[in-house]
Amino acid sequence: MTLELKGLLDWVYTIVSGIVASLGLPEIIRDVALMLLVIAALIGFLMIMALFLIWWERKVSAHIQDRLGPMMTGWHGWIQTVADALKLLQKEDIVVGTADRKVHFWAPVVVFTACLAAFAVIPFGKGLIPTDINIGILYIFAITSFTVISLLMAGWGSNNKFALLGGMRTAAQIISYEVPLTLSVMGVILMAGTLSMVGFVESQGPYFWKWYIWPQLAGFAIYITAATAELNRTPFDLPEAEQELVAGFNIEYSGMKFAMFFLAEFLNMFMVAAVATTLFLGGWQPPLPGLAFVPSYIWFLGKSLFLVFVIMWFKWTYPRLRVDHLMGFAWKVLLPLAFLNIFLTALGVYIF
Amino acid sequence: MGMVKEFFSGVYNLALGLVTTAKYLPKRAVTIQYPKVKMQMFERSRGTVVLLSDPETGELNCNACLLCQKACPVAAITIKQAKDAGTKKRYPEKFEINMMICCYCGLCEEACNFNAIKLTGKYEFATPDKDSLIFDKDKLQEIGRDVKYEAKKKREPKKDAVPVKKAEPASPTPVSAEPEKAVEVKAADPVDNSGQIDIKGTNQ
Repeated sequence: MTLELKGLLDWVYTIVSGIVASLGLPEIIRDVALMLLVIAALIGFLMIMALFLIWWERKVSAHIQDRLGPMMTGWHGWIQTVADALKLLQKEDIVVGTADRKVHFWAPVVVFTACLAAFAVIPFGKGLIPTDINIGILYIFAITSFTVISLLMAGWGSNNKFALLGGMRTAAQIISYEVPLTLSVMGVILMAGTLSMVGFVESQGPYFWKWYIWPQLAGFAIYITAATAELNRTPFDLPEAEQELVAGFNIEYSGMKFAMFFLAEFLNMFMVAAVATTLFLGGWQPPLPGLAFVPSYIWFLGKSLFLVFVIMWFKWTYPRLRVDHLMGFAWKVLLPLAFLNIFLTALGVYIF
Repeated sequence: MGMVKEFFSGVYNLALGLVTTAKYLPKRAVTIQYPKVKMQMFERSRGTVVLLSDPETGELNCNACLLCQKACPVAAITIKQAKDAGTKKRYPEKFEINMMICCYCGLCEEACNFNAIKLTGKYEFATPDKDSLIFDKDKLQEIGRDVKYEAKKKREPKKDAVPVKKAEPASPTPVSAEPEKAVEVKAADPVDNSGQIDIKGTNQ
């Protein structure tokens, strides 16, 4: 239990409140200071995670294609993404002459903010949740919807036909897939009887046969499929279809703005995996009570990274769908399946 | 019923795709980490052209017969003949290969009767300086030093005595020194006077 981070957090809390009390400042200062510390730690962790995920994606894709991927920088090229980020930082920030400057500037800010804000309610471990609000899952779905508007802003603000097409496709796709995504979670909400993220984890317990993935297998499958579409990743990567749209909505972005889109994409992937872990895979709970000596955040990260790997695995396996197939799949297959899943779950919850 | 069957066959096929890529995941990479690890080129691969020289005496096998220059389809080879005053032997005073237009066809190697010019497995001569891609005699000899040396061909008497071979100005042996010289004088003088352009013109 010594490996849990709860003790460290309590220690920080004691120190900060001690400093604030000795200076005779009001309590609100203490709360703000603690919150800022949490935000700084969270953002630091997420930046490292995003860089790690980019490296990992490159390695997974390389090994699936019988290559090795980046190998030159550090052990198996692990500093490669740091070098890439530094390179992007130094690059000139080009704004197209005809672009709508305000929209063009705010689009990466919005996408990045929305992406970071969603992590505020993710339970990373036992007691490791930035804010435990009682409508956590609702908050996540509300915040992640900002992605649509930011990508549409990017497409519109660039004043480029490829960017606009990409942005429009994104809007159509994300709005369509948000419906089955939200509905697929309803089964879990019905079974847990709560909307709080900690509530989901605690209602599953440290036994892997009690996790919601087993009764909600259909819900899990719908969630992962719809989430892949939400992330604009293959096989649903029409908004970024390189062969048709060059790069889609981010074509006119360069330097740090492009890096923000790129990092946000990978952070969204981690976020989707983290939500799926919380809802379906027992969150930070170990599979068996005897395995609790491994810290809870390790279990959480392990499960999330496995789901991230599955999403990457999809990308390097499946070809891209056609746009009418994409829409047909969302409305004609996933939506009825999600409704059927909700109906059966509700029936089961009512009977048992 | 058909829809259900289609659904399950679709899921099965998606899973099949995932299994296929998963099989490739732990396999060893087929690529080579190029600047660190270099591929072992095949013995007869056609890369950079080199001139062979005797590792002991440092003497080139080439005796400036101009056959390779004539055989070259892109006219990348430029040779200037000269005659050693003491030994009365021909040698290439200037031997240049323009690597920018060389097409690595290997016809010069086939045309050579003296094992003097070879195509090797070397391929790394990228440079920011275009002029340095015109390899002169010293450079060609230098990069050919670690190539396996083959001695200058000797004439094989009474074997394969085809009339075409007789016509060729080839044989370094002292026995045939006189006829060779005769050919050389005929060929060399007009070449030296008119420069390389004529030779290339006839080649084309």
